[in-house]
Amino acid sequence: MSSAPSASGPLSPHEPSPLGAVLSYIIPGLGQIYQGRYGKGVLFMVSLLGMFFLGQAMGNWQNVYVHSVDERGRGGFSALVMRWHYGGQFWIGAAAWPALAQHFKVPLPEVIRDHQKMPDEGKLNQFFSNSDKAPDLGWVYTVVAGMLNILVMYDAYAGPVIFTVPKPTTKESAKASAEAKKEGVA
Amino acid sequence: MLFAMAIYLHLPLMLLVISLVYSATRHEQWDEILIEAFRWGIRMFGFMLIVAVVLFVASLIIPALPF
Repeated sequence: MSSAPSASGPLSPHEPSPLGAVLSYIIPGLGQIYQGRYGKGVLFMVSLLGMFFLGQAMGNWQNVYVHSVDERGRGGFSALVMRWHYGGQFWIGAAAWPALAQHFKVPLPEVIRDHQKMPDEGKLNQFFSNSDKAPDLGWVYTVVAGMLNILVMYDAYAGPVIFTVPKPTTKESAKASAEAKKEGVA
Repeated sequence: MLFAMAIYLHLPLMLLVISLVYSATRHEQWDEILIEAFRWGIRMFGFMLIVAVVLFVASLIIPALPF
């Protein structure tokens, strides 16, 4: 995965990893963990999933969904793209899939049977009327978390945008100079 | 007033998460990630502060206008 610094060609932290990108899409940070970059993986997982679920909680779990039918009462793609927020929320991965399952009427386990189901419009309006601005900030959180995961997927695919070679420790430098001296003698 | 201000308590969290995650996608070493995150945190805080000051000044000026 890690490549040693070489005199020829640019330095790269690892080869492009499509599997890493897919894993990071499904669960943020999973691609990095798969690549052995545990610290960053856990940071992405906790930060992005935390932000996404906090956003959902602020919106009373009613801000991640897609419409089941469009304005003309038709299902399919035209209904799917009616709620543009989902275009950002989708990129958080599996955490946003129940909304698609609800749209395509895929049966979900009992525990999450109504999770991310399109809320009743009357109840939703009442909730917004009786709330402060927190629900509005809530859907922003969910969209921001999804958009940030695109960067995380890129990091899993191609490594960090700016890659610097770690400085050798004193021990490593001493070992390298000793080896160089030996080679010189030989 | 205090209740209305409560939503702004989420902003430091958003600032922290965005700056940390963004910086971690740009660097691999933790010291570089933290330095970059701090810089982005300051930039975002400054931007939000400017917006807040502009809105505050506008809220003072607009009611005083004669139309």
